[in-house]
Amino acid sequence: MATLEDTLTTKRTPLYHLHQANQPNATGWQHLGGYAIKAGQDETQVEPTTVAPACGLTDLSALARVGLRGKKAATILSEKHYQLPAAPNQALRQEDGSLVAKLSASEYLLLGSFADDGERISRDELAWQAAERAHRLPDAYLLPRQDTHAWLALTGSHASDVMAKLCGVDLSPKAFAPGHVAQTSVARANAIIINASQADLSCLYLLVDSASACYFWPILLDAMQEFEGKELNIMALRHHHPA
Amino acid sequence: MKIMNCPLNGPRNISEFIHGGELKPMPNPTTCSDREWADYVFYSDNTAGVITEWWMHVASSYWFLAERHTVTDEILRTFDPQEIFQERIEFAVEEKRS
Repeated sequence: MATLEDTLTTKRTPLYHLHQANQPNATGWQHLGGYAIKAGQDETQVEPTTVAPACGLTDLSALARVGLRGKKAATILSEKHYQLPAAPNQALRQEDGSLVAKLSASEYLLLGSFADDGERISRDELAWQAAERAHRLPDAYLLPRQDTHAWLALTGSHASDVMAKLCGVDLSPKAFAPGHVAQTSVARANAIIINASQADLSCLYLLVDSASACYFWPILLDAMQEFEGKELNIMALRHHHPA
Repeated sequence: MKIMNCPLNGPRNISEFIHGGELKPMPNPTTCSDREWADYVFYSDNTAGVITEWWMHVASSYWFLAERHTVTDEILRTFDPQEIFQERIEFAVEEKRS
């Protein structure tokens, strides 16, 4: 396990300073995808059942994410063997665990997988960046999302109850099934909400402006209080996202 | 809260939208007069009745068109701009003087 000093050369998620301020004495920082993340409980000690019934908030910002927009975006993604959602505001889990969300008729958002720490998405983004520089990405625009958006996960059976306090859109399981996407206002700031629930775990992804990440984090924790919600380490959530 | 129906995202609180002005035909920027261009960019017809105007859903940065009655403030219809705009408009870029 690395010390805080070791993390100084690594990348920081938008919530790094908040985590650091909340736990000034924390000595344990882990590395994931080149990012420093706060070490939680030892991965091996977390039973999957300890995550599922409760209400948890996790910072997934260390995982890769990127967007692609334009007339040819769908073709470019298909060439890379991504399965695409049929309609806007839908998301589709890929075989490798990554997620593709369709945000409009020609805009896609790709979220990395736990299985490879988002490496597939990072690799593809680098390839698209090179293609764009060489003008080999016609009718498509790469949308860097890694630094523009923070990625939070709200897990547990009370996830939609927590969101009901913050958001005007009905996100209850009946109205907002797995694979649904809502781009709306949460706590008066903009967010993309994706129902990324797996068979054994209710999970809402929230993608928020990186500058508002430190606003959202305490607000969500506050809204979670009545459901005994708590902050979870990214490693704890990993158990629920097998490859 | 007043509800507006976004063609992409469905019914949402009006606070999620911003107004983008009346839909007007764009004069040719290379040949029109300054007055015509100012009229297009800045001036509003301020019609009392049903008008078509631009709106944007901020959370998804999605621009669309709405028919609204300016007297009753009733939103009659919202629709994707592709109903009117089929082609991307490219503007000629003036070459930099060396």
